[in-house]
Amino acid sequence: MSVLAVTRLELRRLFVRPLAWVLGASTLAWLAWNFTLMLGSFLAAQIRLAALPDGPGYTDLVAVPLLAKLAELAFLVVPLLSMSALAGERREGRLALLLGMGLKPSHIVLGKYAALLVWLLAWLALVLAMPLALAHATAIDWGKLAAAALGMALLLASLAALGLACSAVASHPAIAAAVALVLTLALMWLNLGAQMAGVDDGAINWLAMSSHLQPLLRGLVASPDVVWFVLLATVCLALAIRRVAAERERG
Amino acid sequence: MTLPQTLLKLEQASRRRAGRPAVQGLSLVLERGQVLGLLGVNGAGKSTTLSMIAGALAPDGGHILLDGVDLAEHPALVRRLVGWLPERAPLWQELTVGEHLDAHGRLRGLNGAALKQARTRMVERLELGPLERRLAGVLSQGQRQRLGLACALLHQPALLVLDEPGNALDPVQVAALRGLIREQAAAGTAVILSTHVLAEVTAVCDRVAILHDGTLRYEGTLAGDDHAALERQFFAIATARAAA
Repeated sequence: MSVLAVTRLELRRLFVRPLAWVLGASTLAWLAWNFTLMLGSFLAAQIRLAALPDGPGYTDLVAVPLLAKLAELAFLVVPLLSMSALAGERREGRLALLLGMGLKPSHIVLGKYAALLVWLLAWLALVLAMPLALAHATAIDWGKLAAAALGMALLLASLAALGLACSAVASHPAIAAAVALVLTLALMWLNLGAQMAGVDDGAINWLAMSSHLQPLLRGLVASPDVVWFVLLATVCLALAIRRVAAERERG
Repeated sequence: MTLPQTLLKLEQASRRRAGRPAVQGLSLVLERGQVLGLLGVNGAGKSTTLSMIAGALAPDGGHILLDGVDLAEHPALVRRLVGWLPERAPLWQELTVGEHLDAHGRLRGLNGAALKQARTRMVERLELGPLERRLAGVLSQGQRQRLGLACALLHQPALLVLDEPGNALDPVQVAALRGLIREQAAAGTAVILSTHVLAEVTAVCDRVAILHDGTLRYEGTLAGDDHAALERQFFAIATARAAA
């Protein structure tokens, strides 16, 4: 019950703060512009593509690339959205107030996480609505699109957890955002050096986020990839809960 | 069934902060309907003591018993029994006064009709009606304190913990605050309030405890007319540190 109360409070705060609206509106406008460009290119190449036996379709050339663009934006948007969730509360003395209401640290963290997820999934749904708006007029590869959407949902969920963990540890929201951004980029491109050296199946490749996101964007749902995202989110949430619990001990 | 008179008991409670002892071996008892004034100079350990009682800070030595139950074992007890107004009334600037009351109520487990009733009661009692739709970020200091008080009292706690509630209030607001504290005590709520202002203690408190360097230096009852005696006591303790 208290998780729900924290979620309601956090959602309300997200929806009345200009930051969430500015981020939402500007990124959606940017993605809509990209969608239009990709759609134009697809329409221009449609006749040539139709002649190919297994040529890429609307899903490969418009829907999935649009989601890939959303992933790039998420690296910046999620740290900005999550930065003040705990660091801001601590700075203003409100985290102590929440603990002084007898709320469990896990309820505080999970409530805030759920609110972030609601916002991020609504953002994903609005982006998905763009390619889906043409579903009646084109052939969509539903399986591939569902896999890519699942990949994006998992990416957003794990980035939100990472952002919350950084916000729990950092003393200032801006530091939380910077650390979350650096960690996200490091996790994404951890295997770049290994790939350049021709190593494709080492432990470092397994650690990299791109190794697990790319298959999902290609339509391949494998449980190790799903587990990787779930593990990342779980570890980050556990870290955030531990840090908030330590607040009572450390002061 | 009658409730046990003792509501709060601190047994040798201690807490270190920033590497130094902020509170050491503090023992106190507070009964239902009593108002305890916690006096002390800056850094005496008043806010640390109140944070421990409110459950926001865990003692690293000793015990805090609330209604006979150790807070360390049942930290969620404060949700129902304690209302806390920290020193600067932490508010969410982007939420309105009404939204604050709703959020605090829900976080304390109130819902539906009970929440609506509690909110109406607090809006009327603390005269928040004209401010209900105003953002917390634009409230004056006095209005912020009133909202903080309303949030602390919303769930009708058995123990009200007030950290320097009279700060930045004008004389009219101070008088209203004193009235509210007396009213709460008459209804059986135990109140513990920290302050620098001796007059505040003599005006509303039944008992006084003076903290100095994190330890309890004096504890006694107040008869109402012994302001001068309390002042002598307080300055003797406070200047002892300065002399040392």
